[in-house]
Amino acid sequence: MRFNDAVFGVILIIFAIAVIFHTTTFPSLYGQEYGPDLFPIIIVSGLALCGVILIVRGFASRSSVPLIQLDDWADDRSTVINVILLIGAMVFYILCSEWLGFVITAMLILTILMIRLGSGFLTSMITAVIVTLVIHSLFAKILLVPLPWGLLQPVAW
Amino acid sequence: MDTILKAFALVTEPYTLGVMLMAAMFGLFVGAMPGLTATMATALLIPFTFFMDPVPAIAVIVTAVATAIFAGDIPGALLRIPGTPASAAYCDESYAMTQKGLAERALGIGLVTSVIGGLTGAVVLSFSAPALAEFAIQFSSFEYFWLACLGLSCAVIISTGSTIKGFVSLLIGLFIATIGIDGTAGHPRFTFGSIELMGGVSFIPAMIGMFAISEVLRYVASTRKPLPVPQQSMGSVFGGLGPILRKYKTNVVQGSSIGAVVGILPGAGADIAAWISYALAKKRSKTPEKFGTGHPEGLVAAGSANNASVAGAWVPAIVFGIPGDSITAIVIGVLYMKGMNPGPMVFVTNPELIYAVFIAFFIANLALLPLGFVAIRMSRQILKVPQRVLMPIILMFCIVGAFAINNTVFGVTVMLILGVLAYIMEENGFPVAPAILGIVLGSMIEDNFMASMIKADGSLSGFFSRPIAATLGVVTILLWTAPIILALKRMVQSKRQPQR
Amino acid sequence: MLNRRKFTTAATIAAAGFFAAATVTPALADYPERPITLIVPWGAGGGTDATGRMIAGLLEDELGKPVTVVNRTGGSGVVGHSAIANAKPDGYTIGVATVEIGMMHWAGLTELTGEDYTPIALYNFDPAGLIVSADSEWETAEDVVAAVKANPGKHKASGTGQGGIWHLALAGMLADAGAAPDAAPWVPSKGAAPALQELAAGGVDIVTPSVVEGAALIEAGKAKALAVMSDERLGAFADVPTLKEATGSDWTMAAWRGIAGPKGMPEEATEKLTAALEKVWKSDEFQDFMKGRGFGLVWKPGDEFAQWMKDSDASLGSVMKAVGLAK
Repeated sequence: MRFNDAVFGVILIIFAIAVIFHTTTFPSLYGQEYGPDLFPIIIVSGLALCGVILIVRGFASRSSVPLIQLDDWADDRSTVINVILLIGAMVFYILCSEWLGFVITAMLILTILMIRLGSGFLTSMITAVIVTLVIHSLFAKILLVPLPWGLLQPVAW
Repeated sequence: MDTILKAFALVTEPYTLGVMLMAAMFGLFVGAMPGLTATMATALLIPFTFFMDPVPAIAVIVTAVATAIFAGDIPGALLRIPGTPASAAYCDESYAMTQKGLAERALGIGLVTSVIGGLTGAVVLSFSAPALAEFAIQFSSFEYFWLACLGLSCAVIISTGSTIKGFVSLLIGLFIATIGIDGTAGHPRFTFGSIELMGGVSFIPAMIGMFAISEVLRYVASTRKPLPVPQQSMGSVFGGLGPILRKYKTNVVQGSSIGAVVGILPGAGADIAAWISYALAKKRSKTPEKFGTGHPEGLVAAGSANNASVAGAWVPAIVFGIPGDSITAIVIGVLYMKGMNPGPMVFVTNPELIYAVFIAFFIANLALLPLGFVAIRMSRQILKVPQRVLMPIILMFCIVGAFAINNTVFGVTVMLILGVLAYIMEENGFPVAPAILGIVLGSMIEDNFMASMIKADGSLSGFFSRPIAATLGVVTILLWTAPIILALKRMVQSKRQPQR
Repeated sequence: MLNRRKFTTAATIAAAGFFAAATVTPALADYPERPITLIVPWGAGGGTDATGRMIAGLLEDELGKPVTVVNRTGGSGVVGHSAIANAKPDGYTIGVATVEIGMMHWAGLTELTGEDYTPIALYNFDPAGLIVSADSEWETAEDVVAAVKANPGKHKASGTGQGGIWHLALAGMLADAGAAPDAAPWVPSKGAAPALQELAAGGVDIVTPSVVEGAALIEAGKAKALAVMSDERLGAFADVPTLKEATGSDWTMAAWRGIAGPKGMPEEATEKLTAALEKVWKSDEFQDFMKGRGFGLVWKPGDEFAQWMKDSDASLGSVMKAVGLAK
């Protein structure tokens, strides 16, 4: 997904204004002229300046670069679904891993993604189960990462 | 001497050697898989290093990177798809050799020059880092402030593509670094009440996101066909190499030294080293017309350069905590985690650990010779592993890695957000490397600036009051103003010309 | 072959899990039944991490289940302390609570106080030191205070971040001596080690971390400790006078560390943990380790620890208000 530079320019400027506005709530450092707001303000001022340059450049090239260019992959419905599914898988993990537990969450994510990317149903399932158990033994058992058990807590092994 | 012996004992422990061997196999695999980079190999290894002592942890990363950079040559030569960006510079060249039926020769050259380059880089690292550290021990917040500025400037200047976009990327990184409780006043910035954000955006999930998740996203967003499997079987790998290397020995030396120097510069890594070295070899060659037709000259130069840069990048990383490339940006995070805070003090307090890192470089590069040979012979099997299965598995490793740093799904959230950000940035021509440097160096710049201002009672002259600080400051300011002065000069000249 | 077996096993386990989850509720029949997580709110390599890991190792032997150390760093300790307080109070997540628990809420960073925890035991106590460079002309704490009073703003001090425990130590000491609390401006640092490096490089004149943290630099002959801010001299540094001996000031300040869990832990778990911890604390291994590294030893279980946290909280609050660091 490509955007005209001007789009980024506008986003950067809006962002910079929002940040500068927010920094006014920062306290000043006791007995000092410079406080915690100094660096954020310098940084976003730089971003705003770059934003202006990007708008000028984007405006100059507007005939050749459209505002938003949904290239090859966005035209193709299946890749759009791929991207949504991948991001969705991570969101699913963030939201549900504590409750479902690592083993179930990981198996679900792996199976669905593998099937989606073109592996057979059974192969995906089996691979997902093996990979999950390998990762789980490796991290939870050998490396002692407290991966959540979730629903499987009563039968934790 | 005693320290070196102690360091040697640390590296040659069976456990360390064992994990290094596994790391080498992992590195060869990741490097040989197109789309998986050496940086990604490092990011994926981090959760394992949590649970190791400092020396094996660092040795694992050193080994995996050295082997991955070489292995990137394999699909480059066989399929014309570079396994890592570091092999992109000479991918066409080695593929042309394959078409001539010289695949094993191309890979043999790649392997031997990788080993030579890697060893040269290790020598440069072992001698320059301690010498620099001796000097750096006198540095206070003023000097560190300028050093960090220098590092950031290099990142923007070297970054590929448009300078303005590199600058935007850098500023985004710097902004991300300001999130969390600030080091000077103890005020939570941009946390919006989130306790997790008070701790800031932690390095490791950020790196995993920006290097691994963005890559997985790119894979699923492209309608890529499965990789073709190379047809020809491998002949003798090392046959006929001797005369070639003798003939192009100056290219080997040149490539290795360019690689090491480019590695030391912050923000430039193995890929840029290979491009520069290849271009220079072509420029200096007596037969530049042969380049691109399966000619070994450029291959020799660039093949040694990318491996040499890997070690070079560790110099600023260990001595100043300023990453030389994206891999060492991750390494710095690991060093902090291991209590080996980068800086000159670590050479005083834990010299044996530092020397152990140097020795690991030598061992890893020597081991590359036999292991790389095996990898070349097995290349067809490696390339058969389907990416449609591999990518979901990588995703799972990323999630576990991002979780394990602090045992919270917040790490996964950081990884996801920065992964998507990096993907959008790269798709639109914003280089990601400056952002990484910004994240790593942001607090270093701010904390040292603030501490310096307090020490100098709020006067900016403090930044020029010490001789080293003043020198560094002048160099930095020259670096910033030089492009403007040059541009003005050009404008003046172009205005004059019509009058003539 | 192997794959298939693994698959069936996993499938069986998974199925059993779903079934079991619906019917069985976990009971504390024999605490602990599974690994315990010990949250350390500070980074690897520091004193809290070192003592926390030592305790985890010994506690593991005592309880017969793994005790995993998890560093939850950042936010001046807020992140880790919140993680301990917000954990499920089932006895399987505990943590190291440090002196900052009585400071963070005064600074407006969090609502948490010592009341939000199940106190298990206090195990360590390290008073602040007054440390200057070895080649400094100051020979006694009196010299330092006099010099700072004579030239407010000239001499810079460091030791930790702005408003950190060692900053309070200095500010309180100055205030007690009748000087402005910011007469020696505070240069924030990322902990004691970088501050000590600045002291060695001549960047600052005074540092006030615990004497333990300065021990390496003192032994290397690069720094000297002029006083310790406690009622008694320290065993490991018997030649360093207390602040009272040196200047007559009653000012004391110390960092402490204790083990605590989230509020509302089951009694059985708390009792078992306290008993195991007491054994650990009394073990030769722990005593040797703490003394070897110069960490101060103190033992206050349960309610005594709760009272300790309350007192500490109140005194820190009054100092922070006095020196303008409270919100």
